[in-house]
Amino acid sequence: MSYYFAILGTNDAPVYELEIGTYRQSGNGVPHLPNELQELEQFILNSSLDILQDNQFKDTGLFSKNLDSFYGYKILSYLTQGNGKFLIMTDLKNHDESIRQFFIEIHELYVRNLLNPFYEINQPIRSADFDTRVRALAKRYL
Amino acid sequence: MSKQLKQLGDDIWKNQVEKINSELFTLTYGSVVAQLCKDLDNNYDQVNNELYKMGYNIGVRLIDEFLQKTQLSRCTNMHETAEVVSKIGFKIFLNITPTVSHWTADNKSFGLILVENPLADFVELPNTEARKKLWYSNVLCGVLKGCLEMVQLDCDVSFLQDSLKGDENTEIRVKLNKILKDEIPAGEE
Amino acid sequence: MSTPSNSKLMLTGAGYNPVIGPGSTADSTNSLPKQTASQRSVSQLSSPSSLLRLASTSSERKLNSFGAHASIYDRNLHRGMHEISLSSMSFLFMEVIRMSLNGSESLLQMERKLNNLGYRVGLRLLELVSLRENFNNNLASSGKSNTAQRHVRVLEILQFVKESIWPCMFGKEADNLEKSVQNENQYMIIDSDPILSRYICVPKEYEGLDCESFVAGIVEGLLDISYFRCEVTAHSAPLEGYPNRTVYLVDFDSSIISREERLSKK
Repeated sequence: MSYYFAILGTNDAPVYELEIGTYRQSGNGVPHLPNELQELEQFILNSSLDILQDNQFKDTGLFSKNLDSFYGYKILSYLTQGNGKFLIMTDLKNHDESIRQFFIEIHELYVRNLLNPFYEINQPIRSADFDTRVRALAKRYL
Repeated sequence: MSKQLKQLGDDIWKNQVEKINSELFTLTYGSVVAQLCKDLDNNYDQVNNELYKMGYNIGVRLIDEFLQKTQLSRCTNMHETAEVVSKIGFKIFLNITPTVSHWTADNKSFGLILVENPLADFVELPNTEARKKLWYSNVLCGVLKGCLEMVQLDCDVSFLQDSLKGDENTEIRVKLNKILKDEIPAGEE
Repeated sequence: MSTPSNSKLMLTGAGYNPVIGPGSTADSTNSLPKQTASQRSVSQLSSPSSLLRLASTSSERKLNSFGAHASIYDRNLHRGMHEISLSSMSFLFMEVIRMSLNGSESLLQMERKLNNLGYRVGLRLLELVSLRENFNNNLASSGKSNTAQRHVRVLEILQFVKESIWPCMFGKEADNLEKSVQNENQYMIIDSDPILSRYICVPKEYEGLDCESFVAGIVEGLLDISYFRCEVTAHSAPLEGYPNRTVYLVDFDSSIISREERLSKK
């Protein structure tokens, strides 16, 4: 039971990625994404982004719990006003609410990171502190 | 003395100062520092200099407003100057009150410890040379330099440490070199 | 587990790809370090203190016991509006103008520099203010977060600028929002007394320079990253009693107007 999580910038390029396993059901946080799927991550991201773009001016919410699905993996998304895009691909079922809360907390981290004058928008997020926080949130919610 | 100055600073802040949310200020300063780093090819010594100059320009003008609002006469010694800078100067312009500390034995040099620093809200220095060399808030040193010079105090003003760099405190050192010859300072009648 | 090669991670120009304005320096060759869970266990062992630190930061805290700066990721974005003197902002703004003067050969070039500096501020301010608007209390608690909305229509986002961004920057709303009668791409945000200009005197030799280009840049930056591609320019339009009255002219890209028409039909 695993998650692939990505943050994409306004130009749709990934600025942060994480593969992580669930901590629920006595999981230990180690991801078990099949190799085939790992290789397809970019493809899946692209096709999910297409759907996101089709919807983003019709649906005004931030969170979408059924953006797309792919061989038993579903894609959930979260979009900020400034078009920061958070995507999760997972084979876990019935964790939509936790994932939503995870996204909301990520939203805060994302904004704090953006406020830093030394961070240029759409650049990879390299702060080790940011990474530590994301992992702590993953442990709490995912 | 110190208590009266604090009261004066608080009163001026409360009654005479037009206020604004600090966020635009913080983000604007951030935008300036980032732009300078870019323009000067991350030569942080030069960036520090530019920020200092910028501050100096501000300081020599800001002193007029300071004197006009406070109606203070000249300080009698450096201890008084330090208290005025912290409890009135910083208070009425940035709404913070740094702690005066670490006097040298000759009473000519002191530290200002900034517990809060509105300039540096939101800032994380990149883990590059910037963390060693850049004094992010160096504009403050320039401002102090400019102000003090306008009241006949020739001082060296520089950062000793900055918590942005992982130091324990954020501390500006002020060291009196000499008292300049008597001239009527600008803005004082 | 192995870390996939970085080249795999490069995504190029899929779908909507607005040109982020002049402030952007996006370097597309930058590779992204992929994070994996196995790295976690290593870092965990090497610095147990960092985890302890994390545990203690869950409560709101700005300073640690030494008075040192806490991490930016601990900063509460919803409270703690710190006020400073407007003079300080004006002094800084004067230096911003001086800095833009340096090396500029024309007023236009200088206004562009001011615009760029503002642009960087605008895209940050947008995310900060909209985050607050959507989650003005405790984030993780559900309730309010279900009603979180994005502004997707031209009028909505302009109203957001007038009624939310302006108060955050200047402590007051913009005075007016108008649609141009001549040009359907154009809207005007009007401020009768822009506070940044209140204490600024432009030297004679730079007469005609509009310092409010900085604010125009802010508006352009925040509209751009919201996918409302546009150009924003500042125009002095004094009225009696309001010598600094300024019109911020928002000129939307035609693609935005066609999108707006499509959305209206549904």
